[in-house]
Amino acid sequence: MTGYTEKIREAAKRLLTEKKVDCFIGFRKGSVPMVNYPVIVSDPAKADELIWDANCAMNLANYVIGRKDKVGILATGCVARNLVTLVQENQIKREQLYIIGLPCSGMIDKSQVIDKYGDVEIVSVIDKGDTFAVEAGDKTDVLKKADFLSRNCKICAHHNPIEYDEIIGDKVADPETYIKPEDVKKSESMSDAERWEFFEKTFSPCIRCYACRNACPMCYCPTCFVDESRPQWVGKSSDETDTLTFHFLRALHLAGRCTDCGACERACPIDIPVRYLTSRLNADAKEIYGFESGLDPKMRPLLDHYKLDDLNDFFK
Amino acid sequence: MSEWEPKIVTILCNWCTYGAADLAGVNRLQYPTNFKVIRVPCTGRISPKMILAAFRSGADGVWISGCHPGDCHYIEGNFYARRRFTMLKALLKHVGIDERRLHFSWISAAEGPKFAATAKEVIASVKQAGPAHQLIKTKAQVI
Amino acid sequence: MTTKSFTKDALIKAADGLRKSYRVFVPVKVGKFHEFKLFEDGDKPDFEYRKTRKSPKGLIFPQSERMLEYSIDEHKPDHHIMKESPKDYSPQVVFGIRPYDAMSFKVMDVNFDTEDYKDPWWIKRYAATTLVGICRNDLDSKMFATENFSGPYDIRGLDVALYDLGDKYIAKSLTEKGEKALAAMGGNDVSAAELAAIEKLTPDTNAPQAAPTDKIKEKVVNDLFDSTMWEDIANGCINCGACTFLCPTCWCFDIQDEIHKREGDRLRIWDSCMFPLYTLHASGHNPRGKKVQRVRNRFMHKIKYYLDKYEKGIMCVGCGRCVEACPVNIDIRRVCELMNNFTK
Repeated sequence: MTGYTEKIREAAKRLLTEKKVDCFIGFRKGSVPMVNYPVIVSDPAKADELIWDANCAMNLANYVIGRKDKVGILATGCVARNLVTLVQENQIKREQLYIIGLPCSGMIDKSQVIDKYGDVEIVSVIDKGDTFAVEAGDKTDVLKKADFLSRNCKICAHHNPIEYDEIIGDKVADPETYIKPEDVKKSESMSDAERWEFFEKTFSPCIRCYACRNACPMCYCPTCFVDESRPQWVGKSSDETDTLTFHFLRALHLAGRCTDCGACERACPIDIPVRYLTSRLNADAKEIYGFESGLDPKMRPLLDHYKLDDLNDFFK
Repeated sequence: MSEWEPKIVTILCNWCTYGAADLAGVNRLQYPTNFKVIRVPCTGRISPKMILAAFRSGADGVWISGCHPGDCHYIEGNFYARRRFTMLKALLKHVGIDERRLHFSWISAAEGPKFAATAKEVIASVKQAGPAHQLIKTKAQVI
Repeated sequence: MTTKSFTKDALIKAADGLRKSYRVFVPVKVGKFHEFKLFEDGDKPDFEYRKTRKSPKGLIFPQSERMLEYSIDEHKPDHHIMKESPKDYSPQVVFGIRPYDAMSFKVMDVNFDTEDYKDPWWIKRYAATTLVGICRNDLDSKMFATENFSGPYDIRGLDVALYDLGDKYIAKSLTEKGEKALAAMGGNDVSAAELAAIEKLTPDTNAPQAAPTDKIKEKVVNDLFDSTMWEDIANGCINCGACTFLCPTCWCFDIQDEIHKREGDRLRIWDSCMFPLYTLHASGHNPRGKKVQRVRNRFMHKIKYYLDKYEKGIMCVGCGRCVEACPVNIDIRRVCELMNNFTK
């Protein structure tokens, strides 16, 4: 994944000069370690700003929603699936997108790295392929990326984009079988009371900044249910029941649409593992309907189609 | 002291189960009366938000019922609803809300006896689960 | 002005002792981050902490608070009459606050306590609060100096300053409130050498780099407003409220009514200028409907409007929380630089 930057710059410059796209969405190097700035470039001369490394974890599909022009965009496995879903949901036309596919071996989990160093401030983090160099305090460590992968990347089943116009780099091997997230597996052996306690404990510190919602490319409603006042589905104060309701409904709205890109978890300023709920729904969509979102541009989203013999056990 | 009786919100489709409830009444079938019935055009009209709203308002149980799959007045409304409810049910279970609080059924307008029987079943099940204590919105818990 | 010396253990005891006459809030590690929490039996205050993730502004300006309550039950004689909710305004001490966070209350005070409008909840709480702050040279690289915060020994916002000298703290009272709190804290007498040591620690000692804002005052508001730089600044923004909710100086709030059965509450809750709902009119029109307008407003308010209106520097204490927490790396230092270097 380390050699992508040059090729991305070349492609962006070419597409913008040949006027194949009006703008190009990628990342610019951030001003602090492990966070890069999503940038929209329309001047070919500025294509050299673009970079790619294992800290490009925010989801670029977020920036194509509602655009009227032709867009070049970088897409890893999960982002490409989001783009497909956005096309299915008529948020953008496929013809408007020029997708540069990037096989992805996973992103570095920023908070795990910060936790490792505690109060020692991290000065820089440089991606070196299978490893990355962390400069913290007055020393530099080389860490294995596999040990610090984002939790969603660890269980990623689709590293390679399935939909693209051109692809950069070699394909990455996908796991042979589907891996269920650890916390979801754990919850299955818990009692109702334990699950409720975990849910409450995990989500009640939420400060209701809605970073999880806004980081998600699938959350594009012009008016979110949180902002509706007649009826008011959920209160806007930091009341615990309201906070839990918000998270419950946010997750439910992503049923069959989430690609587990991890942007929500990454965006949370207080490190709540917000994927806990969406992971469950992803696992169920897979187990019950054999469905994974965004894999087939011709297919409708999970809740927008049905089969006559869908699961019916729990209906009396 | 009187025994605790559950409060149950029931959302019925206009064309089938609402008719079944009527029929059960006309046939003078006896069933408990812990329900607040809400009539909707189709189970496809029911948003999970509505079910959550019922729980937030303190309902001990929610019962959704509509036409049998294939008999929907709007051809396919209940097929979409079925998938939606499947996901909702899974997520409610995942956060630890007792499965005995949420019930679904398909009851046609001709099935008055099934309505009465299902009503009894739903109430018995919610009674077992006991009074609801999760996700109930009270006066805002703030300073 | 009184000075007292405390060993590190004695300081925890001093904070504990204050509980007799104050509600004491101390930094405690909860989960992954430090936060201020009411000091209760069994709590372990950690005064060596660097920075709380959420700013302590909530202690005086809570994220959600009940302003008024009412009943719509017509059987009650006082139905439909708004009544003020009873609140605890007993004296409180924020023990171990950092100087930049303490200063943020001064920055916000100009909004809540003006000639024309006096916010009763803010004023009462701020008056009841004594800020005992820790001055230690441990600022991180995301922090920067502004007019409202020059460095780790900038004690303008504090009532009592606690200078960390490695193995002990030297406390110095700075206000009348501080004098009272320090008297209740006990402590040992301070030696001449210790006194000399803290006198060397001026507001400029170990000062971090300042955000470039010196030329912003002379810029014309409308020129800045119409600049094309905002597109580039805002492009990456996802319009979440992480920056404004963690910010110690963001003061915007929304007022919401909630009715539970027949009892109603009028709540005041933090709002964020990043949200579309913030400016949405009842007619459906939204004067700041676009992301770029909202981002522009946030920075123009902090860096230009506040500066022009109050002439007290920019509305920022350089704590760097927004820089750390922004998921898409919108860096206020870069925005200051762009605004400072802006030419029409």
